[in-house]
Amino acid sequence: MTVQIGFDSAWQDEFLKRIDDDGPWGNWELYKLAVEVETHTTIPDFEGLQAPKHLPSLTPLPHQLEVAKQVVESMNGKAILADEVGLGKTIEAGLILKEYMIRGLVKKVLILVPASLVSQWAMELNSKFFIPAVAQRKSYVWEQCDVVVSSIDTAKRNPHRDIIYSLDYDLIIIDEAHKLKNNKTKNYEFVQNLKKKFCLLLTATPIQNRISEIFNLVSLLKPGHLGNESAFYENYKKDSRSLNDDAHLKELVNKVMIRNRRADTGIEWTKRHVETIPIEFSQAERELYEAVTELRNEENWVSSSQFSVMTLQREACSSREAVYFTLQNMLKRQEQPSIAFQEQIQYLIKKVEAVQQNSKAQKALELIQKINDKVIIFTEYRATQMYLQWFLKQYGITSVPFRGGFKRGKKDWMRELFQKNAQVLIATEAGGEGINLQFCNHIINFDLPWNPMRLEQRIGRIHRLGQEKDVMIYNFATKETVEEHIMKLLYEKIHLFEKVIGDLDDILTKLEFGSIDDHLVDIFGRSASEGEMRIKMENLTSMIQFAEDLKEGELNAATGNS
Amino acid sequence: MQQQEIHKFLERYFHANGCEITDKGPGYMTVQLTIDLDKELMNRPFYWHYLEKTGGIPNPMQLTLITNQQLAPPHIKGEVIHFGSPRLHQIFDSARNLAGYIRLYENHRQAPGKQVPLRPWLGMNIRVSYQCDRKRDVFKSIGLQLINGQMVESFHDRLLGMSLTPKIPDYSFTLSPLIMPGSGVFRVANFIKAEIEQEDHKWADEARKRWQKDLTLLEHFYEEAEEKGESYENEKTALQEQYEPKVNISIINGGLFYLTDNAV
Repeated sequence: MTVQIGFDSAWQDEFLKRIDDDGPWGNWELYKLAVEVETHTTIPDFEGLQAPKHLPSLTPLPHQLEVAKQVVESMNGKAILADEVGLGKTIEAGLILKEYMIRGLVKKVLILVPASLVSQWAMELNSKFFIPAVAQRKSYVWEQCDVVVSSIDTAKRNPHRDIIYSLDYDLIIIDEAHKLKNNKTKNYEFVQNLKKKFCLLLTATPIQNRISEIFNLVSLLKPGHLGNESAFYENYKKDSRSLNDDAHLKELVNKVMIRNRRADTGIEWTKRHVETIPIEFSQAERELYEAVTELRNEENWVSSSQFSVMTLQREACSSREAVYFTLQNMLKRQEQPSIAFQEQIQYLIKKVEAVQQNSKAQKALELIQKINDKVIIFTEYRATQMYLQWFLKQYGITSVPFRGGFKRGKKDWMRELFQKNAQVLIATEAGGEGINLQFCNHIINFDLPWNPMRLEQRIGRIHRLGQEKDVMIYNFATKETVEEHIMKLLYEKIHLFEKVIGDLDDILTKLEFGSIDDHLVDIFGRSASEGEMRIKMENLTSMIQFAEDLKEGELNAATGNS
Repeated sequence: MQQQEIHKFLERYFHANGCEITDKGPGYMTVQLTIDLDKELMNRPFYWHYLEKTGGIPNPMQLTLITNQQLAPPHIKGEVIHFGSPRLHQIFDSARNLAGYIRLYENHRQAPGKQVPLRPWLGMNIRVSYQCDRKRDVFKSIGLQLINGQMVESFHDRLLGMSLTPKIPDYSFTLSPLIMPGSGVFRVANFIKAEIEQEDHKWADEARKRWQKDLTLLEHFYEEAEEKGESYENEKTALQEQYEPKVNISIINGGLFYLTDNAV
């Protein structure tokens, strides 16, 4: 078959004009230079990477080069980059982008990242890759600049949305793409309708428990790769435990997804040291916790779910402020609270007021003073966050808060303040993602999230490439509370802290588990007795262990066969 | 391109454009730009517009370029230049822009007194790009004698071995072309096209296969949808843009060369 051949005739027209006008003619030296430039910029082969040669200040790791090569050569520039947290997905994406730019296949690029990472992406692309990426600040940059970094929340809103839709992008990069797993969301629809030639989706947690999430992500990238929706669910959902089907699906998914594990990369990682620090409640704190726990048996507590009892219990392990805040909200939410309900709340508030000190905060203070270096404290509750900031200040320790809700500029500012001026960064859960803090190597988990994935995200903020020291993780768990149960029975039993996120991913997927959150609510909320709770917890952990064994067995079988 | 090569390249570029290098040392150089080059490189049209309107004294900028951060003295502040840095690419583009068209004469050393005829040649430096979802380039330099239609390859290399001058040397006269330059360009283009058509286009067939595969997937995905909608059309166009194999011939630069009988 013949190929369409285009000939650029603009040169010819100008040439003839200059002959007619008798000039102007160029300088011989410059003419020669232009030809020399050409010999340097031609790309001799379809295969192989050009980019690394042109990036003298960057030494990509072997696995990063391999990813870039694979995406360009065998995935046609459409891929999910799903390396574990901290393996340098940004570098991989940068390499691919640079490669396409050098080859002249990509000019117009849109990069959608969490708001907190916009500046960082733009900076890294400029400094490491010499790509003139611009952080979106004004609406005219969409058209004027070729490489724009923006948050998806900005991009999907008008007037930006309409401008973006009117443009043809050569390459679109989306960081933290697991947020697009639901195809009913506005974000998903927005991305689906973008005009794109090449597309990279970056995520550290691609395979959650649900097969639909895989389907949605892959369909965004390459519609039809996994078949259409109804056919897909017919094949996989009904009979998803059948290994043959799984293997087939896996193969299909692997055509568009690359996932490196820390263990595979052969890089020497700094170690993780995990220390669980048991916390002893003071008398008053214990009473508050007990009072909250007893709510489960209260009959007039019908209006609230098991879940809020659980929430209160966990908050009681964090700070009295957190409990107080929730109690106030519960009262406000009732339009006409019954007298009994009001009394109940008042009773609890009395208990809150009786608490004079925070045992965990005391412990944290001791620890921070002992560490005498930068520390990140994670807590799930904003009230605790504010309290801690105030508390540390009483002892002359400077701290900065960090929340998901901060605007981008504020996040950058807080990060910088932490790096330069403050000893402690206090982050809430939502602040865990999308910020890199390799210059710090101590984490205090003031309270524990229930989803182990979220914990890994937290640790991943500091335990990533570029971390030069061993990472210290301190987990606070209050004795004889839900917290201790989670800690002992779940986290420790499955050796979560020594494990890396990928394994856990695999394990959870294998089991078709449902969400861990749901299991925990059931265990702690619906168990009638301590004994029942223990048994259910044992069940959960042994299921996880079973899946682990299963996986190891598979691995052994695989190596045995080869 | 190594840093040392870049350094040399920059020096030659600024010299060729008549700029003075006011300060230089290992790994860096400071250049006083001419007005023309300031306009070419510094991207400040408003300044120049303002100056022309008000009739002020032009003050072209100085530019400090660092080609090796290890060698350059630490107090030197300037732009770090690497292959791939936007500034270098701007300079590359500018070299192409400023020297797209040329006319030169062979500076022969014939004994005076005898008139030497110079034959007209059309020289074209060409980039052939093979493009689908991947891309590769081939550089070609073609010379066409505009009297007898003789065509040679690697024309540029031959020119490099000659002494050339922009002014017609003494005791020389140029022969008029029998082939007009316009039809000369046409001949060169046809020659290259014919050559490309002879080639094995396995790469294009493979690209079409990849394209077809993705198209089939796309059709399958939307099979059951009654209204295929905008995203379907978007995807389809994107696939075409991504995979459709094509060859583009573009001209880097070229011009007229008047050479002695035996030069080529």
